[in-house]
Amino acid sequence: MTGTETALAVAASGVAPDVPLVVDAVSRLFRPDTVARILIEGLGKASIYFIIAVGLTLVFGLMGVLNFAHGAFAMLGAYAGGVLMVLAVSSGTGPYARVAFFVVVAAVVFALMTAVGSVLEIGLVRPIYDRTPMYQILLTFGVGLILEEGARIATSARGIQPEPTWTGAAATIPNALETFYSILGASIRGFYMFAIVAGVAVAAAVWAFLNRTLYGLYIRAGSEDPEMVEALGIDVRKAFTVVFGLGTGLAAVGGVFLMWDPTWGPSVLLNIDALLYAFVVVVIGGLGSFKGTLAAAVIVGIADSFTTWLFNTGIVAFPGLPEVTIFALLVIVLIVRPQGLYGVEEVGGH
Amino acid sequence: MSDPGDSADGPDPLLELEGVHTYYGESHVLQGVDLSVDEGEIVALIGRNGVGKTTTLRSILQLTPPREGTVRFRGEDVTGESTHDVAGRGIGWVPEERRMFGYLTVEENVRVSVGPDRDYEALREYVFDLFPDLERFREKEARNLSGGQQQMLAIARALVGDNDLLLVDEPSEGLAPMIVDQVVEALREASADTTMILVEQNFPLAMDLADRFYLLDHGTVVESGDTEGVTAEDERIRRYLSA
Repeated sequence: MTGTETALAVAASGVAPDVPLVVDAVSRLFRPDTVARILIEGLGKASIYFIIAVGLTLVFGLMGVLNFAHGAFAMLGAYAGGVLMVLAVSSGTGPYARVAFFVVVAAVVFALMTAVGSVLEIGLVRPIYDRTPMYQILLTFGVGLILEEGARIATSARGIQPEPTWTGAAATIPNALETFYSILGASIRGFYMFAIVAGVAVAAAVWAFLNRTLYGLYIRAGSEDPEMVEALGIDVRKAFTVVFGLGTGLAAVGGVFLMWDPTWGPSVLLNIDALLYAFVVVVIGGLGSFKGTLAAAVIVGIADSFTTWLFNTGIVAFPGLPEVTIFALLVIVLIVRPQGLYGVEEVGGH
Repeated sequence: MSDPGDSADGPDPLLELEGVHTYYGESHVLQGVDLSVDEGEIVALIGRNGVGKTTTLRSILQLTPPREGTVRFRGEDVTGESTHDVAGRGIGWVPEERRMFGYLTVEENVRVSVGPDRDYEALREYVFDLFPDLERFREKEARNLSGGQQQMLAIARALVGDNDLLLVDEPSEGLAPMIVDQVVEALREASADTTMILVEQNFPLAMDLADRFYLLDHGTVVESGDTEGVTAEDERIRRYLSA
């Protein structure tokens, strides 16, 4: 292909930007309403990413286990939440009742999946702690694939389309959260404001658990030196079970939110998609770091929001721009600061 | 040299090791260690680097469980128990290199060492009275303390656990002489309430602090007895301590 042909192909594919569009977008980018939209939507997305990723970072921080089944737990959460919401909500259910049901469903899914995670830790993960990390990766990845295929079979058998999304569950969202509201001149979808409130609540709850409870103190100490914690008379294995359970429960709560998220929705594809986003966030933040996960979720959320806005301006016609940008951020962080924003050279220290 | 721990007529020892063999992989480190410690004593484990002193402490705590032999605490066989159960019986550890939780504050390092069913406030007051410096820095992250302060914190962490036996590994290692004096003073005060096994390379210091000693070589006890009057020039000691 000649240079001219390449240029034409690029222009035809929509990758090459149109100059007037660029000028227009740049002038709009610095308007307060655009900045407000990017920031508020970004924080909404960040909240969801944080909820999905924080369990992964807790599990790695204490146990040193890279849990490749984490995305599958989010997927199960989305489906479990969807089933419960479909059962609880009818066409006559009002918006407040729907939100109240959602909160109850998220709590039920959290409790259920925390129990499932604890059983999996005792039955599957515990026997291989003494083996190399490769065993943990293969085991958890295998568990993720089994859960994904299990969900595909179960949904198909019930007449639910496994992908791209289960629209019946996504449709339980109240109209009030699908409506766009004017905030600081920007038009913001109600769901993102709901997600911000939920994200702050989850972050505060996890922070309080880690910093204001004795068990949280054991977990923070254990993430630095589990052998020393054991020598102080604390059963670290029990802490591992609790943390793996909590990590699973938090992933599932993230899945419940993804069920209503306009860009996600319940799908078997969440196994890999949610896992990738969770990994990007914890690697950028620093594996095992709560603070880092929070900071990275905000960065990834705002980058996602910005590139989505950019795509909507028409400058870039490539729909995968947000994903490419987020993975580019990951690559940059890995090159410049391999331990992540708040990471240390070794496990723990957070 | 007599060994009071071996006395058949005395009270049961607080701790007893019988024919303990411990391995790291295929490396046979402890090759039949026998020792006993009576309540209220300070017992020093001495010997050259690599003879198994730290491994003996790790075997007592089941951090590196023995493959053969028995560890008894208060007459009960604890061999094969989990480390947290053994520690929960009242055995505290002041490890080599201190092993602080560097990202926790001094106060949190102390707090994590007190079981949920213990009176934290009383124990906290006890250790902060013993180490006033630590109270001053209680909000500071442990990684920001000096070496001496970290050693104090390591001892405080073991003391606050309200333990009956402390396993103290190389407390003077890497510390300036003035700081060593403070650490020795702290150990001496702590020993008023607690039995202690002390691993120490500094021979005069070990003999000064301890009531009895066990000399290890190639993973076995080769000499033992009272510390009184024992010097590094003693022929039986010298041949095992010199390189």
